[in-house]
Amino acid sequence: MAENQTFPLDEDNDTLLFEKLQEHVLAHYPNPERKGCPDPAVLKSLIETPGEVTLAALNDLHIFKCAECTRLLMELRQQKKHEASE
Amino acid sequence: MLLPSPSELCWGIKLPPEQKWLEKAIHFAVSNIWQRAHRIARSQLGDESQTLEMIEIAIGKAVDRLQLNSQASPEEVTQLLERLYLQEVRHRRKANNRIVLVGASEDLSSTSTHHPQSLVDSAIDLDIILQNIPPEVRFALLLRYSQSRWNEIAAVLGTTEASIRLRCKRALNRIRQKLEDKKHGL
Repeated sequence: MAENQTFPLDEDNDTLLFEKLQEHVLAHYPNPERKGCPDPAVLKSLIETPGEVTLAALNDLHIFKCAECTRLLMELRQQKKHEASE
Repeated sequence: MLLPSPSELCWGIKLPPEQKWLEKAIHFAVSNIWQRAHRIARSQLGDESQTLEMIEIAIGKAVDRLQLNSQASPEEVTQLLERLYLQEVRHRRKANNRIVLVGASEDLSSTSTHHPQSLVDSAIDLDIILQNIPPEVRFALLLRYSQSRWNEIAAVLGTTEASIRLRCKRALNRIRQKLEDKKHGL
């Protein structure tokens, strides 16, 4: 490994990793009763104004073990992309 | 397994030309504390397996601090890196002391994961993978999970992209490894 190796600019390497992680969470962590989920407004802030969100408001790493929150995050992100392209 | 050289631990630090001194100083500091860091891990934590991870965390913190300062001497950088490394060792030693063992050893046979399905179920447990990870790294991973770009994450956390990526690297490697293991049914 070279001393001056840099991170790939396109971020493809870990983009794929996070996509796989999302698939895993959607398949293995259903939470229809939405136990422990942060308020949807907090998830919206995480997408739009992440600097205003705290780890506590997100219930720490809850999202990594919740298909419902993951799905909502994906929808919000798509919505933001859609709005940006208009 | 061969240990990586100190220079390999500096691979993620890519700084602008005016801060090239910092890259060299960190390399010098890692070389200086390398042997001692292993001895400290062995004596304080019982083994050396976490040494590399703790050095990487110390490097990330040192880069964050030194980028805000004027040029420090290699000796000062060494002292800072060693102090941050010892801080991480103390943090982990305290965390280890909080572990409470419940039940008797006889219970282990009934709760261990011999069943293949149990192995799959336990293959990825992010609570375990991400334990002992500092809050800002957890937050960075959540932001990346919500598809923020690294430069945006760095801006939110008030650090550099190189620094936060370096600090997340170990956790990402663990997640990647777990997903691979699961894919292959391990």
